[in-house]
Amino acid sequence: MTLQRTRTYECMCLLDNREVRKGWQPLKDAVTGIFTKHGAKILSSRRWDERRLAYAIRGQQRGTYLLVYFAADTQSVTAIRRDLQFNESVLRDLLVECAEVPQTAYEPEAAFDVNAIPADDAPAAPEPVAAPQGEPVAETPTEA
Amino acid sequence: MSNMIQSNGGRDGGRDGGRDGARRSKFGRFGARRREVLPEEPLEYKNVAYLSKFVSANGRIQSRKRTGFSGQNQRKLAEAIKHARLIGLLPFVGRM
Repeated sequence: MTLQRTRTYECMCLLDNREVRKGWQPLKDAVTGIFTKHGAKILSSRRWDERRLAYAIRGQQRGTYLLVYFAADTQSVTAIRRDLQFNESVLRDLLVECAEVPQTAYEPEAAFDVNAIPADDAPAAPEPVAAPQGEPVAETPTEA
Repeated sequence: MSNMIQSNGGRDGGRDGGRDGARRSKFGRFGARRREVLPEEPLEYKNVAYLSKFVSANGRIQSRKRTGFSGQNQRKLAEAIKHARLIGLLPFVGRM
């Protein structure tokens, strides 16, 4: 007899931008399909961000993050994690237990244009200038 | 009577404190305990901007002495930073 116990989990998947450019919705469905295949109930699945990575992963400098909240049996988590690691389009995954799903997870996903993803070798966005623009800075007289 | 411990010269009957001496500090000889710092934002791996404040230029996690967090919050911080490193949000070594 095995103990059946359902818990809520949060999974952050880092997806390969080369796969994302082929189409966001099919890729998202394929990844969430890994969870449902093992009997998990998807509570929320939305794009978290597309950003430059802190270090290169499989030669990629940028990646798209998919945040999935799901309820699954504790016994099925190992199988889900294994399937995520086998998937070529998932660069990294982080699966942690979560006490409750935040309300923001249920908000509709913002529009995502896969063609607007910057190229991998694109220079980093310039840092915002700290000084306010518009008002000329008054020159202070230097003391002799 | 020879076993009687006399402190403060025995003027206040063996009690600590009083007119003749400062009360013994609860926190050791070198003053009051450092006040605990509470995190301003949740210590989650997704909160990269906040976590990066507690990472040195080499990518190392700052010590409790520098963060001022309680033991519980320092463990949460360390776990969040390590999770963020695993999925490429924070560097293991070096600056972003």
